[in-house]
Amino acid sequence: MIIRWICEKCSKKWIYPIEKCVYCKGPVIKQKGAKIRVAGITKVAIPSPMHPIIPYNVLLLEDEHGNRMPKKTMKDYKIGDDYVEQRAKGKDAVAVVKVKYDIYEAIKDAVGLLNRIDLGKDDKILVKPSIVAAAYPYQAVNTNPDFLNALILALLEHGISKENIMIAEQALIGSDSMDAASKAGILEVCKKNDISFADISKGPFEEIESDGYKFKILKETLNRKIINAPIMKTNSQIGLSGAVENLSRLCDEPTQRRMYFDNIDETLPKLVNALNVITIADATSGMQGQGPLTLGEPAFLNLVYAGRNPAMLDAVFCKASMLEIPPYIKLGKNAIKDIEIVGNELDALKYPIKKPVAEETPHPDIKVIDGKACPACLNAMFNATSRLIGLRGEQLNLVMGSVLSGEMLEGKERLVAYGDCAIKRLDEMKVKPMAQISEKTDMIEQIVLLKKLLTSKGEATITPIDKVKSKMKKLLSRVVQ
Amino acid sequence: MYVKGVGMTKFGAQTDTSQELVYEATMEALEDANFNMEDIDAIVSSTVDNESSGERQRGFSSILSSMFKKKVPILTSSAVCGGGGSAIWTANKMGYENVLVVGSERLLSNNTANTTDEILMAAERLYEQADGLIFPAQNALVAQQYMLRYGATTDDFALVAFKNHSNAYLNPKARFYKRQVTLKQIKKSPVVASPLRLFDCSLSVNGAAAAILTKEKTDIEIAGSSLYVDRLSAFENEDMTSWQASKLAAEEAYKQANLSPSDIDVAELHDAFTPVEVISYEDLGFCKKGEGKYMIRKGTVNLNGKLPVNTSGGLKAKGHPISATGIAQVYDLAKQMRKQAGDRQVDNVNYALAHNIGGAGSTVTVHILKKVGA
Repeated sequence: MIIRWICEKCSKKWIYPIEKCVYCKGPVIKQKGAKIRVAGITKVAIPSPMHPIIPYNVLLLEDEHGNRMPKKTMKDYKIGDDYVEQRAKGKDAVAVVKVKYDIYEAIKDAVGLLNRIDLGKDDKILVKPSIVAAAYPYQAVNTNPDFLNALILALLEHGISKENIMIAEQALIGSDSMDAASKAGILEVCKKNDISFADISKGPFEEIESDGYKFKILKETLNRKIINAPIMKTNSQIGLSGAVENLSRLCDEPTQRRMYFDNIDETLPKLVNALNVITIADATSGMQGQGPLTLGEPAFLNLVYAGRNPAMLDAVFCKASMLEIPPYIKLGKNAIKDIEIVGNELDALKYPIKKPVAEETPHPDIKVIDGKACPACLNAMFNATSRLIGLRGEQLNLVMGSVLSGEMLEGKERLVAYGDCAIKRLDEMKVKPMAQISEKTDMIEQIVLLKKLLTSKGEATITPIDKVKSKMKKLLSRVVQ
Repeated sequence: MYVKGVGMTKFGAQTDTSQELVYEATMEALEDANFNMEDIDAIVSSTVDNESSGERQRGFSSILSSMFKKKVPILTSSAVCGGGGSAIWTANKMGYENVLVVGSERLLSNNTANTTDEILMAAERLYEQADGLIFPAQNALVAQQYMLRYGATTDDFALVAFKNHSNAYLNPKARFYKRQVTLKQIKKSPVVASPLRLFDCSLSVNGAAAAILTKEKTDIEIAGSSLYVDRLSAFENEDMTSWQASKLAAEEAYKQANLSPSDIDVAELHDAFTPVEVISYEDLGFCKKGEGKYMIRKGTVNLNGKLPVNTSGGLKAKGHPISATGIAQVYDLAKQMRKQAGDRQVDNVNYALAHNIGGAGSTVTVHILKKVGA
């Protein structure tokens, strides 16, 4: 669809929305073209970082109003051909739509391309954005508030009453959900639209079973239709935080921890199988590099993804972003080529974003050997190591999680068991680390110990003097606050 | 104002830093003007900071202050490929006695793919950048619309390339100096964005150009100077086969100079892509709409034609170091007017026109130079 914003009084046109005409101050309305034809075509034979797959075609599309836009495609067309956006045929299709200055229209386009979405006017809806930590929208850590706002508007326009819409999410274990939602601008969107926000961590939860695995999930989940609205981000631990990973935070804290302890690659797909969701994903400004928190970089992607199958949606995102598909994304019998993609072709979308590096931490001398640590430990580790930036020393290897093997530790020295799972697992493996940091260790004590380890060659332990020092520091920080 | 002195580096793949390029071009201009830096009252520079290899440098005004030891107004004008013309237009309006205008670019500092991407940043981001409309593709779509409507052919575009390469062969400062290119080579060159081939595209090069403008009467007067800015995206234009900003800028410059297109003896046009030169013949009033193809077919714009165009080799074969281009055009026209153009010399040049475009017809300057006493 080609859209222009046109002044009702003087007919001046813009390719992006403005509130009112800058000349006559007249109201500006959308002009949408419905009948589109191919007015021109060029086959491009040189690659560029944004468009690495060649050759590709760029069509010059023109609608009945004479409005034009370029459209990249791998398919061949002729001048004069009608251009029709094909709707999905199958139920597991993934729609990918480029945002042309209007997220609301892109969301409507993406959902409209899917094969009959079952959302009735009287349905109760639970929208599950990603709000993992207190961060500003520009940092692309959480679902963008403009995206959520557009999604709410689309639901309201569909006829669903605001009383029947609930926004629900919980931050990563160890972070405050309401703080995160506030800084992310999500609470403001809820307030503006008079829609309730629920902190999932407060429950209540109900136990469900899927493929022999038990999950305690938010009870409301069972009474509402779920719209999964993640932001698409790289994740240095599990590869991707997208449609599938976002659903893990529908579970209570012990379940989340257990899912990682029992190997998230196996437990997460079981959770996905238990839930019936529609995913409308925010890839307007996604994240690349060392996501999913602020170590990652915003990636201007300007896309909206939609689909019924979260794993397929994530797989398409990975392929489009030229990332590896993580092991927890299970496509069953389907290969990526079997996934029906509508809106844009996969090869036409391909654009490499920065890949995450699993062993990196915020500190250049502290590396991670990750055995699928839970988000609580991961979050704490990022906090502790980031506070030591600027202090150089001997390299440390923090061993985390329970899914550890001898191979992962081979050739690694100066091991520090970080978190109870790693302490237990290394004990089972009869590996003696140079130090242990349990989950009960206070953050300031953790920092003191890591500092000692970094700057000394031998073993380091928390001494009574260190404990006194850390207590004094904590007291001092409270006084300062 | 008047043109006092001009200078430029050779356009090529040299590894000089931006400062070194600016220094070389400026020194030549100072010598040409018989000035030293003390005589300069203000500086206007042009650069787009597109050194994608990582050697980025912003705050170029202060770099120039440091190099020239000048505490005077120094402005940096950025209008992408139209930056040089825009800098001359600004200098002409500033009201200072003597103004140095200098543009530089190190476009060849990365591989072709990354350079293509850097240049793409001058396009609109959500429609053009996102949908792969690199500049050759933008201009290919424009060329196609033009061909469909007016019956121009790819052979016409090949003739433009051949003409400009023939001129560059004679220009010691051109990237293709003494490098023979045949019409067959041009027509057989690989397709970049259909219908445009490699030899329809201008050359990414490194280089700098400088001009010293003065209020004091010299042999060359800037009789017309105009700048118009149009929307960024070519697909938004009502008529994609014409740059509206070119037409407006030309009309105003002719009016200021009290001249008509038929008075122009030689012109440097913005041939970033060969069809742009053909379309520009029409936009600048050298022929009627749709008749640009006859200008090249009949040889009107050849070195020995009635209106020689791009005697320097143009962006096509001399090279296109983005921000230096508009100033290099004035350099070459000044050489023509002073009978210093060597083997490319055109007889009796009294009026010359420089036409510089930034983006796909977005920022356009037209400058008309008049030989004093003509």
